[in-house]
Amino acid sequence: MTAVPALSAPPAFSRVWNVVRLHMINRQTYLYIPWLIFAGALVVSLAIPLLLTYNGVPRSEISDGAINSWAVISPMWYLCVVAVLAIAQSFPFALGFGVTRRDFYLGTSLLFVLSSVGNSIVLATLGVIETATGGWGLGARMFTSMFFDQPTWLGNFFLFTVFQLGVYFIGAAIATVYMRWRMWGMLAFWLGSVVVIVAILSAITLTESWPAVGETLTNLGVLGIFAWALVPVALAALAGFFVLRRATPKN
Amino acid sequence: MSTIIEARGLTKKFGSFTAVDDVDFTVEENRIYGLLGRNGAGKTTIMQLLTGQDFASSGSVTVYGQSPVENSRVLSNVSFIKESQKYPDSIRAKHVFAAAPNFYGNWNAELAQQLIGEFRIPLNRDIKKLSRGQVSAVGVVVGLASRAPITFFDEPYLGLDAVARQLFYDRLLEDYALFPRTVILSTHLIDEVSDLLEHVILIDEGRILLDTPAEELRGSASTVVGKRMDVAAFVSGREIIHSDGIGGLSSVTITGQLSPAERATAAHAGLELAPVSLQQLIVRLSSHGNSEGTEL
Repeated sequence: MTAVPALSAPPAFSRVWNVVRLHMINRQTYLYIPWLIFAGALVVSLAIPLLLTYNGVPRSEISDGAINSWAVISPMWYLCVVAVLAIAQSFPFALGFGVTRRDFYLGTSLLFVLSSVGNSIVLATLGVIETATGGWGLGARMFTSMFFDQPTWLGNFFLFTVFQLGVYFIGAAIATVYMRWRMWGMLAFWLGSVVVIVAILSAITLTESWPAVGETLTNLGVLGIFAWALVPVALAALAGFFVLRRATPKN
Repeated sequence: MSTIIEARGLTKKFGSFTAVDDVDFTVEENRIYGLLGRNGAGKTTIMQLLTGQDFASSGSVTVYGQSPVENSRVLSNVSFIKESQKYPDSIRAKHVFAAAPNFYGNWNAELAQQLIGEFRIPLNRDIKKLSRGQVSAVGVVVGLASRAPITFFDEPYLGLDAVARQLFYDRLLEDYALFPRTVILSTHLIDEVSDLLEHVILIDEGRILLDTPAEELRGSASTVVGKRMDVAAFVSGREIIHSDGIGGLSSVTITGQLSPAERATAAHAGLELAPVSLQQLIVRLSSHGNSEGTEL
């Protein structure tokens, strides 16, 4: 006779939330380090206008130049590594605690969303302050550089959020391919990606559609392009789930 | 006694290699099992199949009557401590102990605290900088303090010194006596745990050689030592699992219990009878091959 005792598991949400907490047991990964990188980038972004002002460069010129600064996305490379490690290292760790793949992926995704939204609220708000203070009184631009110079808080918040979601979910999806199929999976993935990209570029070139592509992108505008970018990000998130469902935490 | 784990025709293949080959066994509640076997015998793979960490190629596993795969009702009642457990690079021992209570309903913080002190685990050093033995100790503490109804230890002692290993065995027995649970322990150090085990499952090349209560195994084989001719006469007609000889002397290991009369006969013939330890028995059976071992 097989005994079937009344088995109990914690409710679904608390299991998922436990995964979020597991990722956050060391606060530095998602909080301290990215914001330290932001702080470092801000120091550089302020130091350069200071030097230029000292050398008599007018403020408007400084501001025009600083729009090309990539300082605001400096922590994104780090966050991409974090997303890869969230799968490559935390997945075997979580399974060791009896977490199911499903709960792990849902918890990890929830963390990605919370982190993206949380960071973006701060970044967009800093952007508003930057504009209001005339670039921190120096004509500096960090949080309103690149395409993050939308006229509204909401516009910038949306761009920052989509950007980070993309970094997290695409990084994580690639890591799930590794967890599932290891080296050969990686090889197939990168080769496949190159083939697809070359095919798309060739197709556009051969059909002489570059002007049309350019026109479409211009019409969409930055906000429209980012809205469309949510589609591949969502697909990556979905793909990561199904790939990880059959992955094993082996050495 | 009730069965809580059942494997039927369980098979796991990695490409052309069969790690677990059509295995059947059951595990009864609240006993200590030894999952024994050589390197690569399939012990870890079986444990991974029982805990849903890996997927069976064919056959079935049920834990509490349900498949463990992606089943949080089963998995939240299981603690699986494995030698090869990976920890994120950014993690310290204190983080592991801070996270563990969220996952184990029966977690006992007091016991964890006591064990951390006894095993001298440095809480504030990155796990990747701990010695092999200290990393093992982290797992041992989680496995014991989680008090999960089913606890798997897969070679949990790797790198632990003799004192720490004895501490592990002592604390396991103590806590098991207070809070009975099902423990499945895979190990190479058979002699060290032989008093601990209540049931032995011996695996070789993915097959089960032996699935027997430990009590039956003790004294189930003897080694006869003496003059070659006398030994040969005494063991004729018995199942021999090992024989050895030097000059005119020989030493033969036979299976089966010996009656007092047989012992008297042996003594009369000037033969020495020595009991075979669990470890020796398993070494003999494993090197002896598959087919005959199962007869025991």
